[in-house]
Amino acid sequence: MNRTNGYRYGEQHTPPAPQRVSDVALTTFEHVYEVDPRLMERWVLQQTFPNWDSLRIMNARHDHLDWMHRHFAEKVLTGSELLAEVDAADSSPDS
Amino acid sequence: MTRADPDAGSGGDALTRPFTPGMASNDPGLAELTETVAGRVDIEIVDRETREFVEEWRNASYNCYSSGHKFCREVCPVMQVTRNESWTPTAFHANVVAMERGELDVADVAADYVNCTQCGACELRCPNTLFTGDFYRFRTRTVDVVKAVRALAVDKGVHQPQWQSWNARTDERTHEPVLGEVAVSQDTVRDWAEGLDIPVGGETVLFVDCEAAFYRTSVPRAVAQILQRAGFEFGLMGEQWCCGGPAAEMGYVEQAKRFARHNLDNWRSTGTRRVLVLDPHDYISFTEDYPKYFGDEFDIEIVLVVELLAELLRDGRITPSVPVERTVTYHDPCRLNKRKGIWEEPREILRAIPGLSFTDVDRVTQWSYCSGGGGGLPVEKPDLTAAISARRVDAAATLGVDTLVSACPWSERPLSAAGDARDIDVVDIHELLAESLGITVGGSRGEVGDRRSAGGCGGGSCGGGGGCGS
Repeated sequence: MNRTNGYRYGEQHTPPAPQRVSDVALTTFEHVYEVDPRLMERWVLQQTFPNWDSLRIMNARHDHLDWMHRHFAEKVLTGSELLAEVDAADSSPDS
Repeated sequence: MTRADPDAGSGGDALTRPFTPGMASNDPGLAELTETVAGRVDIEIVDRETREFVEEWRNASYNCYSSGHKFCREVCPVMQVTRNESWTPTAFHANVVAMERGELDVADVAADYVNCTQCGACELRCPNTLFTGDFYRFRTRTVDVVKAVRALAVDKGVHQPQWQSWNARTDERTHEPVLGEVAVSQDTVRDWAEGLDIPVGGETVLFVDCEAAFYRTSVPRAVAQILQRAGFEFGLMGEQWCCGGPAAEMGYVEQAKRFARHNLDNWRSTGTRRVLVLDPHDYISFTEDYPKYFGDEFDIEIVLVVELLAELLRDGRITPSVPVERTVTYHDPCRLNKRKGIWEEPREILRAIPGLSFTDVDRVTQWSYCSGGGGGLPVEKPDLTAAISARRVDAAATLGVDTLVSACPWSERPLSAAGDARDIDVVDIHELLAESLGITVGGSRGEVGDRRSAGGCGGGSCGGGGGCGS
């Protein structure tokens, strides 16, 4: 039996049903967040975006950030670690 | 890090405090502010085609022009070897802004737009794509802008001489004149498959690009025989014309659409529902150009062969067992890696080939690599293509490899020429996989490839058993 994993126009132009994540943002695929399209109906209109393009950009972004970390970061900190440092500094007797 | 003014809450207008547009929690005062967004400049563009072009591409161009990041410059293969400011992605967008303001017309700048391989590096590396493109569904579109300017130039009768001749000959022959003075034609487009006993038509057909069908025939022969080995059923196209992609890339849009129409109608006439594509350029045509031309009517499934072969490997339907004693690195074809995000499957295949010593260069580093073989550049400016290829092979040479593996027939001719000067073979990934499956490929690896393989098969990867150069 022949199996395939190809491009189909209909599939590519049918994104998953969006889930609202804030007043102004939605999510479709995992790790893909999008502006509420109603905010792009006036000055700059959205482009036609097949699914592969959204996923390509999201994946490339992650790969690029990993690449930057490998090449330029001695170590990588999470935001929560930084906030903990700020909180610790704010609550210290010398602050 | 920018900090909000801690005293701002008690006074000043709503713009004093940071906000996210559209949030329900925003200061109501924001709604009362007068819009200060700059409007369009009212300069009448008399020429209708130019006016329509500007209206379509102004936002895409301002997206670049108003940002000015210029991360594109050092990943652009043309910029890397020429340092010509007029040939940068930035300039390509700025020209459109100037056209909107009546400062330029297409005849002033058309020749500059030759200097682009449409590799897509600038688009992807641009922060407006990489960090916000998917969020806004609005990304940098250099390739589309370049194609649109070239199309406008052709509409206005501004032709580049080699492109004009190339497309006229393609129109006459229904295939690109990849063999120079040796004619290509419908009568010979299936000659590469001689002796392979492949039927014509059927639910699944293999589409072979002009370069592979007439010049590097070892590639389609390798693909066909691997698929036969796996028991994968496919046929050849009834009456295959050029995909039309190169004509679209060079600005000859009417011709491109006419060729696309023919191919789609021909697939329908033979009951074809699925097209296998071995060439990344065809893959772009069929998954980007054809959908734009035909919309919902385009109901053909497009399958990239390198992805299919990786799947066949995973499923155990093919198992490479013949060692290939080469030290290789892999060239990510621009239209797979940058423009489609396809980079894992070729590496999966290479790692499955026994005997191979594979020194990989990661896909992000390769955003700045290119063969120079795309976008019509080798047709109009072969010296510039050669300079870009030389730079790519130089990068491979620093790894101490004897072979550069590609997955794009159009890259392999210029890379082979550059590799010859550095004693580096350029081999197609399908050829390499076929050899590891014990298949005698046959066909031709092109002028340079055949000469090098005739002198001892350059390390023994031409398909074994007298197939090379035959």
